Amino acid sequence: MAGIDEILIGMDALEFLQHRGFPALRSEAARQPQEAIDAAQEIGFPVALKISSPDILHKTEVKGVLVDLRDEAEVKEGFERLWTEVISLRPEARIEEVVVQEMGRGREVIIGATHDTQFGPVIMFGLGGIFVEVLQDVSFRVIPIEGKDAQEMIRELRGFPILSGARGGEVNLEAIGALLLRVSSLVNNSPDIREMDLNPVFVNAKGCAISDARIRMKG
Amino acid sequence: MGYLAKLPRVFRPESVMVIGASNNPDKLGYHVMKSLVKGGYPGRIFPINPNSSVVWDLPAFPDLDKVSGDVDLAIIAVPAQVVPGVLEGCHRKGVQGIVLITAGFSEIEDPAGGSLQERVRKMADAWSLPIIGPNTFGFVDLNTSLNASFTPEFSLLSKGGIALVSQSGGFCHLSGFRALDENVGFSKIIGLGNRCNMDFPDILPYLADDPDTRVIALYIEGMDEPRRLLDAARKVRGRKPIVAYKAGRGESGDSASRFHTGSLAGRYEIYRGAFRQGGILEVGDTEELLDTAKALDTLAPLQGNRVAVLSSQAGPGMIACDVCEAHGLCLVDFSPTIQERINELLPPLAIRTNPVDMGPAWYNPGAIIGIMEAVIEDPGIDGVVFLAMYASANIALAGEMRKYFEEREPLTKPLTACFSAPSPIWSEDVKVMDRKKGMVFLPTPERAARTMGNLWSLTRLLS
Repeated sequence: MAGIDEILIGMDALEFLQHRGFPALRSEAARQPQEAIDAAQEIGFPVALKISSPDILHKTEVKGVLVDLRDEAEVKEGFERLWTEVISLRPEARIEEVVVQEMGRGREVIIGATHDTQFGPVIMFGLGGIFVEVLQDVSFRVIPIEGKDAQEMIRELRGFPILSGARGGEVNLEAIGALLLRVSSLVNNSPDIREMDLNPVFVNAKGCAISDARIRMKG
Repeated sequence: MGYLAKLPRVFRPESVMVIGASNNPDKLGYHVMKSLVKGGYPGRIFPINPNSSVVWDLPAFPDLDKVSGDVDLAIIAVPAQVVPGVLEGCHRKGVQGIVLITAGFSEIEDPAGGSLQERVRKMADAWSLPIIGPNTFGFVDLNTSLNASFTPEFSLLSKGGIALVSQSGGFCHLSGFRALDENVGFSKIIGLGNRCNMDFPDILPYLADDPDTRVIALYIEGMDEPRRLLDAARKVRGRKPIVAYKAGRGESGDSASRFHTGSLAGRYEIYRGAFRQGGILEVGDTEELLDTAKALDTLAPLQGNRVAVLSSQAGPGMIACDVCEAHGLCLVDFSPTIQERINELLPPLAIRTNPVDMGPAWYNPGAIIGIMEAVIEDPGIDGVVFLAMYASANIALAGEMRKYFEEREPLTKPLTACFSAPSPIWSEDVKVMDRKKGMVFLPTPERAARTMGNLWSLTRLLS
């Protein structure tokens, strides 16, 4: 496969990151309803189920994410519904597995890294959902960053009050900063990584955990 | 590469050669000669022109090999296709640097322009010959009275500590002429043009060492290797403030959404981040670049964010407060002893706390000056925004202020002022005070307040 980029998604991406010390939500892969139930019992209810397909970039558009499943019956029914609905909406998509995951708690943020044609490796931070998609409220830095840069990236978002305590719980800003530094350092030291997209990352008062990730590796 | 060592001679040359010097006003070489001669350049000028023996009343040479003696700087204004040959001649002559005004290189649609520039760059690199341009208006150095450009009026600019480095000649003209109206002073204005081998990061180290330059102002459109600018700025960091205005932001809107699909187009967003990483203060328009640079050139640094707004009328004071607060400045209470002094100077007819409405003291310039003096001495105040709109009743204010400042030591805290009056009322007094004794005067309360805000942004950026 030399020359063709490899894209890690789902469990592959989460495990890649966990092996390198990144914090992620507890996750297991399942291909059968019973596997999903076993995984959910091991993780502890409630759980989320997410479809994992290299052909599906935006899972929510194909109803590929179910959250807050509270018992075995909900997981079993959810697993079957997920698989059928996604196939009916996107019959051509290759579905590899369903990720069973502990429920993320807190605010959703996005961390990205890519290679800019002019600047080389750069890192991006933003708040999840409409903040990135509609308001384009994101901050960038050139990799590598320092601790001060990481905290400025967080604080210069217009939506920063959402993280700092307005309307809801405060989140652990040091933990976000540490994760930004970890991404910067990984990309800086791994020329094979062309792009990383940690989306979403859940942050709360205790810390942060990656819920989903996509990593493009040089082939 | 040896470029840097040559730059002091390029900006302080003992002799200048003009290739393409002309007596014909339809040629750029005419205007270059006019700039040098009318600008009062004190060194030797060698016009090169194969058809005239006298150009601008100076003996001219048919070709550059005929010039006797050393030449430090060559200004080239001949057609693009003959430039390589001219450069060879300059190298033979031991020229230290080039201003290449000629256009028709990488900026044109025809790819031949790009290859010609590449050829020129390779020649210059081999000789470590710094080239400003091509496709530039040139540069002006106000301290050496050297106007190495095709615009003689740049010599009218006042001398100051701002080095403006611009990718666009048009921007140099825009801001240079604004600066004439608004009393902004420069050490140099340099048009980088196509940046053959002198790009922003190449010129920054020189300006960091240049004793005439206290502030570096950049106008940037786009760069091939912006990371070099970041590295260069980090080296200058803490030595001289750098302020930048970045144009060409159009793609920014896409950046975030495109990120999802894997292609990041929003370079402007990255520039913004990179500026902060490099300790470069970013501004959003021409006026802001000039105002901020003017303040950084002249004022004491703003050590904290506690400011006072003193205004002869309530409305402009309120406007200034809004702008201050939007920039993270705080209008704090005065220390009790300072507040007492203000209360003694101002009858209780208006607000005497911060922001102070000094309206009741219109007929008494001494009281207004006393209030300002007290507030400057307040250890709890880091900077002052001082506003006065002319009314017939306060006509004596500017003159009395001028007398007061003639006597006193420079302010150790920054003061930005807006004095608005129909010319010529107050004009001369304001002009005498502006950029002296630690004050700058700006045309509106918003700009006076925004400039104070930018001083604070820079303090935070470099902390």
